[in-house]
Amino acid sequence: MTRKPKTFAVFIQYLFLVLMTIFALYPIWFVILASGRVGQRLFTLNLLGMFIPTEFNFDNYQIMLAGQQQPFLLWMRNSAFVAALTTIACLLIATSAAFAFSRFRFYGREAALILLLAIQAFPAVLSLVPVAQLLTAFGLYANLWGLVIAYVVGNLVFTTWLLKGYFDTIPIEIEEAAMIDGCGPIQSFLLIGLPMARPALAVTALLAFMGGWGEFVFASVLVPSPATRRTLMVGMYQIANSPAVPWGLFAAGAVMTIIPVMIVYLYFQRYLIGGLTLGGVKG
Amino acid sequence: MIAWSGRRKALMILAFIGPTLLGILFLNIYPIIYNVFISFTNRNQYHPNPDCSVLVTSIIEPKCWPFFKASTGLGTPYTIQSPAFANYETLIGQLATRPGLIAIAEILLCVVPLIVAGQVNKYYNRKISRPISGSGVWIIGLALTILIGWLVNFPNALDQLQTDSDFFIVVFRTILFVAITVPINYIFGLAVALVLNTEYIKGRTFFRTAMIIPWAASTMFIIMSLVWQFFFRDVGVINQLLKIVGINGPTWLNSPTYAFAIIILVNLWFSYPFCFTVILGALQAIPADQYEAAEIDGATYWQQLVNITLPLIRPAVVPAIVLSAIGAGGFQMFGTVWAITTGGPSRGAGVPGATELVMVYAYKQVFQFNAYAKAGAFAVIIFIFLFIMTIYSLRITRITEGAFE
Repeated sequence: MTRKPKTFAVFIQYLFLVLMTIFALYPIWFVILASGRVGQRLFTLNLLGMFIPTEFNFDNYQIMLAGQQQPFLLWMRNSAFVAALTTIACLLIATSAAFAFSRFRFYGREAALILLLAIQAFPAVLSLVPVAQLLTAFGLYANLWGLVIAYVVGNLVFTTWLLKGYFDTIPIEIEEAAMIDGCGPIQSFLLIGLPMARPALAVTALLAFMGGWGEFVFASVLVPSPATRRTLMVGMYQIANSPAVPWGLFAAGAVMTIIPVMIVYLYFQRYLIGGLTLGGVKG
Repeated sequence: MIAWSGRRKALMILAFIGPTLLGILFLNIYPIIYNVFISFTNRNQYHPNPDCSVLVTSIIEPKCWPFFKASTGLGTPYTIQSPAFANYETLIGQLATRPGLIAIAEILLCVVPLIVAGQVNKYYNRKISRPISGSGVWIIGLALTILIGWLVNFPNALDQLQTDSDFFIVVFRTILFVAITVPINYIFGLAVALVLNTEYIKGRTFFRTAMIIPWAASTMFIIMSLVWQFFFRDVGVINQLLKIVGINGPTWLNSPTYAFAIIILVNLWFSYPFCFTVILGALQAIPADQYEAAEIDGATYWQQLVNITLPLIRPAVVPAIVLSAIGAGGFQMFGTVWAITTGGPSRGAGVPGATELVMVYAYKQVFQFNAYAKAGAFAVIIFIFLFIMTIYSLRITRITEGAFE
C-alpha cells in the first residue's frame, strides 16, 4: 500500500480507531471510576463523573480488603489456589502425554488423538451433573480439590494438542543422538523434551492459570457454598445478585480482580499470540 | 524412535499417557455415557433418585456403588421410560409430524439456491473464463432464495415450527446468533487490522495495546458481563446519557430484540480483539511486492483488498472462524448470556426466553427445573451435532494435517 492516502481517508481511519478504542476501554474505565465513588451505586448524576474522576477515594477498596462484609481476600486465595494447582497438575499430566503422542508410535495413536478432539465436543455445561455426582461420591463436592480435578481434565485436551504440536517441531535428531549415548525415553523426556519445550510450557501455564482464575460455571456448581470456600468469580457474581447490590464494593473488587490479569496479559501478549498458533491449535 | 517393543514399551507408553486417559475417562467419557443413559429414563424433580436394584443403574450411578452406598436419597426412584425414546419425542415435539416435516422441508428448500450458487462458483473457479462473475451468481442465488421464501411463505413455516417445539426455537435462535455474531466479530476485527496495518497511522502500538484489553478481560467474562448489564439497565449509563439528550430510553433488557442485540454487542467486545490479532498476524505475512505489482497494474484499493488481501489471509482466518463458531464464543455461548439476561426476557411460562441459547436452555432445564432426563436427551442431540461439526471442521481447517506423521 504505497499510495499516499487522501487526508479525508486518513481522518476517517483515525476516527474509527478512536471510536473502537473508546469502545474497548470505556467499560474498564467506568469500573475504575465507579470503584472510587462514595456510596453503593454505579451511576452518577454528575455527567462529567461518568468520564473523568471528579471524586476518588479508596473507601471501597478498604472495605473489600478488610473483609467485613465479604471474605474477598479469602476468595482471592481460593482462586489463586485452584488456578495454581490446575496449572501445575495440567502441566505434569499433559506434557508427558503430549510427549508420548509426539515421539512414540503405538497402536491406536491416531485414533486416540482424534478421539480426544471429538470427545471435547461434548459441551461442558451438560457434563456438570454427572461430574458433580462423581465428585460427591468421592467426597470432593463443595471442595476446592474437586474443582481442581474438573479444571485439569477440562484443560487436558487443548493442552495435550498444543504441546504435542510443539514437540513435533523440536528436531528428533537431538534425542536420537542421546539414545545412542544410552539415554532412555524417560531421560529423553525429562532432560531434552521438557527443557526444549519451555516456551510452549510457559504459554500453556499462563492459559491454564487464566482459565482457572476466571472460570465461573463449574465453580458455581461444584463449590456453591460455604461463602468462605467460593472462588472469586462466584463470589463477585453473588455480590452482583444480592438484593441491595453494594455496587461500589463490586466495582472495587472487579478492579482488583481484573487489573493484575490485564497487566500479566499485556506483558505476555507477544508470547500468547505466538503460543496460540504454536501447535496448530487455535481457539 | 523407540526401538524396543513388547511389554516394556506398552508399560512405558501407558505410564506416559495413563493419567491423561484416566482423567478423560472419568470426567469426559463417563459424563457422556451417563447422559445417554439418563436420557432414556424419567429422572426429574419427582423421580430424583436411582433405583440400585436395577443392574444398569447400579453400575452407572455413583450413589449405587458399594463403596458410597450410604448416600442414596429417599424420594421415588427413576425408571427407564417406555417407550425408551419418550424424552426425545417430547423434546422434538411436533417436528416429526406431517406439518412439522413440511415446514422443515420448506425452510430447507429456501437454502438450496445458495448451495447451488456456491457449487456453481466453485465449478467456474476452475475454468479459465467464466460467463458470469462470482458476485453475480451469488446475487441470482440470493434472489432465488428470496423468491422461494416468498412462495412457500417462509415466516409462516418458521412460526409453525416455533410454536411446535422448544427445541427448534432454541436451536434456531442459537444458529441465528452464531450467524450474526461471528461475521460481525470478524468484520470489526478485519477493519481494525486493516487500519493498523498501514504505515501512516501514528500511535499504532498504543491502539493495538488498547484493543487487546477486552481480550484480557474476557478471561473473567462474568465480571465484565455484569458491568455491561449495568450499562443497559433501566437506570443504567446508556439511559442516563439518553436522558441528557432528552430521550426516555427503553428498558433495554426487557425487549427481546434489544436483549438479543446487546448479547451480540457484548460478545463483540469480548471477541473482536482475538479476531483482530489473528487477522493482523495474517496481514503482516503478506509480502509487500504483491501490492506493488497490483499498484503498477493500476488496481484500486478495493480491488487489492478483494483480490489480494482477502484470499491471502483466508488460510489463517477460516480455522479461527470455524472454531469460534462451534466454540464457547458461538454455538456454545453460555457465560455472557447467563450474566446479562439469564436467558430472558421471558416470553411466558414454559417457553424459552428471547436470548435462551442452547447452553442456557440446557443449564436451566437441569438447575432450575431438575429435568435431568430431558436435558440428557437434549445433550445427546447437541453432542451428535457438535461431534459432526467438529469432525467436519477438522477436515476444512486441516488442523490435524501433518499431525500423524
